Amino acid sequence: MEAALWTEKYRPTTLDGIKNQLEIVNRLKNFVKNRTMPHCLFAGPPGTGKTTAALCLANDLFKERTMDLYLELNASDARGIDVIRTTVKDFARIAAITEAPFKILTLDEADNMTADAQQALRRTMERYTNTCRFILCCNYSGKIIEPIQSRCAIFRFRPLKIEDISEYLTFIGKKENFELSKEGIDAIIELSEGDMRGAINITQSSASLTNKINEKTVYQVAGRAKPGDVKNLLNLAINGEFTKARDRLRDMLVIEGLSGTDILKQIHSEIFKLEIEEGKKIALADATGETEFRLVQGGGGEIQLSALLAKISLIAR
Amino acid sequence: MVADIPWTIELKPKNLSEIAGNKKVIDSLKRWILSWERTGSNKKAALLYGPPGTGKTVSVEALARELDFDLFEMNASDIRTGQAIESIVGSAVTEQSLFNRKKIILLDEVDGISSQKDRGAVQAITKVIDKTNYPILMTANDAWDPKIRGLREKSLILNYKKIGIRDGVPYLWQLLTKKGIEADVSMIKIIIDRNEGDMRSIINDLQMLTTGETELTFERINQLAWRNRKEPIFDALKLAFTSKDCLNARKAIEVADVDYGMLFEWIYENLPRQLSDPYDLSNAMEALAKAELFLSRAKKTQAWQLLSYAMDLMTAGVAMSRKRTKPAWIPMKFPQRIAFMSRTMRERAKLRQLGNKIGKKCHVSSQDSIKIFIPYLKIIFKHNEEMASSIERWLELDGEMTTYLKS
Repeated sequence: MEAALWTEKYRPTTLDGIKNQLEIVNRLKNFVKNRTMPHCLFAGPPGTGKTTAALCLANDLFKERTMDLYLELNASDARGIDVIRTTVKDFARIAAITEAPFKILTLDEADNMTADAQQALRRTMERYTNTCRFILCCNYSGKIIEPIQSRCAIFRFRPLKIEDISEYLTFIGKKENFELSKEGIDAIIELSEGDMRGAINITQSSASLTNKINEKTVYQVAGRAKPGDVKNLLNLAINGEFTKARDRLRDMLVIEGLSGTDILKQIHSEIFKLEIEEGKKIALADATGETEFRLVQGGGGEIQLSALLAKISLIAR
Repeated sequence: MVADIPWTIELKPKNLSEIAGNKKVIDSLKRWILSWERTGSNKKAALLYGPPGTGKTVSVEALARELDFDLFEMNASDIRTGQAIESIVGSAVTEQSLFNRKKIILLDEVDGISSQKDRGAVQAITKVIDKTNYPILMTANDAWDPKIRGLREKSLILNYKKIGIRDGVPYLWQLLTKKGIEADVSMIKIIIDRNEGDMRSIINDLQMLTTGETELTFERINQLAWRNRKEPIFDALKLAFTSKDCLNARKAIEVADVDYGMLFEWIYENLPRQLSDPYDLSNAMEALAKAELFLSRAKKTQAWQLLSYAMDLMTAGVAMSRKRTKPAWIPMKFPQRIAFMSRTMRERAKLRQLGNKIGKKCHVSSQDSIKIFIPYLKIIFKHNEEMASSIERWLELDGEMTTYLKS
């Protein structure tokens, strides 16, 4: 069955199909040519092609045997030490019974693995190097422990270039029979900040409304899809409506699926744009940074963030 | 309609492993019975004591079943004069049972022996213990009741403790699941707290609250909770919000009738109304945030000595933040965070399932799927029937999921 979500339908399946991150793609093609590769660490923001690159690499190497020789696990769903000790180990230790030199195991969102699980992984990577190569995908390589980083070739994925996204969306438009105005494309690019998956999602939902997409459609869709925008939250706090802000925050965390760090990052990007005294902005940035630090230390989302909201109320007053 | 069988009977544990909590004491009970069997014991009876609903009688019944012993039982509803005991129990402890099966004698609720009506009962039991050929088990709420001193001296003493959150939550969650009822862990915690770990009354409450329902909701618990609400929590909150000195504020922990986690939620809920000045609010929230950090460090590193700093901050830290807000009488509210989690339980479960389905096909974690895809899917499902139904088929969504995306 053909994929109904365009992010999947238009995901490249071979390295040749990837039209950007060319430096990286060329190095991966070399791996295929020589039929060898090191363990790899793919680091970069969401929607920049990390998982796709891993998948395409496996397809090019293994062809129709990919199903048996390639395993993708999402570390956020299976991040405990148990999974590393069972699923990962079982896959890694049994050699491929083909001419293929090794299997590939991709751990997506590897920066969400606990430190213990990473330690366990490090040993597994070492012991089964002959039978299995690992690709770890993450947003921040800093969250991967040093010993693992030192065992990997590191690839840094950059946000996609404007031309690349624009070209791809136009291509999808032709395939799916809708028109996309120049301003519409610009709007999508601005909203998605170099994240291809985000750009395609906005495009598909815009196309569900009309087959002539312009900037108005795009903003309408984005506005409805992201009520979780923090501006609203910040305004409530600044106007001293703490309990309302707290309720809104709870909704974002529990129902809309945002993490505390997601929200903090958005708050951070808004601070300097606020209409408050310049000096106060620094105090806000300081408080936001402190909160992010605490989340890393294991604080729970809602309590730490509402303490921040109370501080924002006070500072911005 | 036929009345439901009480769950306390229908779901009574059939063997020892099904009993919630008190693992150690149940183990020693079993070892004692087995050694009685092999070598005889220097104590021929055992006294099981502890608060109501901790599993004393149930564990004896389950033990008998598990070891395949006959159980001879006498409780407070039977006539228990010395004479009756000597003739009924006295013969039970010496006679062999039918087909020569092994036997346990259970004398339930011995502290309920009436000194007036059941004259001579204690002396009669003492005599029975001396001549018994089978292990005798007695239960009591209070082992130190002077009335039963004579029995205590002849018995192995086993202390049953209240069922806490740790044992109670998984047990009750399983029980509810078996009954096809969804419940949030926080709801179960409230019920355990309210009943002070008395399993029997907890299970009775649960049955009453969920009759004809498929879900244990906060709204229903709330009706029950306010009917006989206990005051200590309100006293504790008053201490945390209005104390002038730290020592006094810290007493909130002891005064409260809920565990510190729940007290934290109460304080967090009511803080913005009690300390409404932005300056006070910000300082008090900071104290709570720090308390939470200590709590999470304690949990993560098992360094439970940190707990006491968390308690300082959540009580005294909050109380000392009152600099500008004038004290005023503002009613306290039940923690809305807990109510919210209960209210949204189904929605969250649906979201998780949806996230899972999307994640598997789209190479993202289920959590991120919720954030990345669902807002857009909602737009598509609302506006484009054709696109929606092809997505529905491709993701293999069930009817409920589709309805959720359309809503």
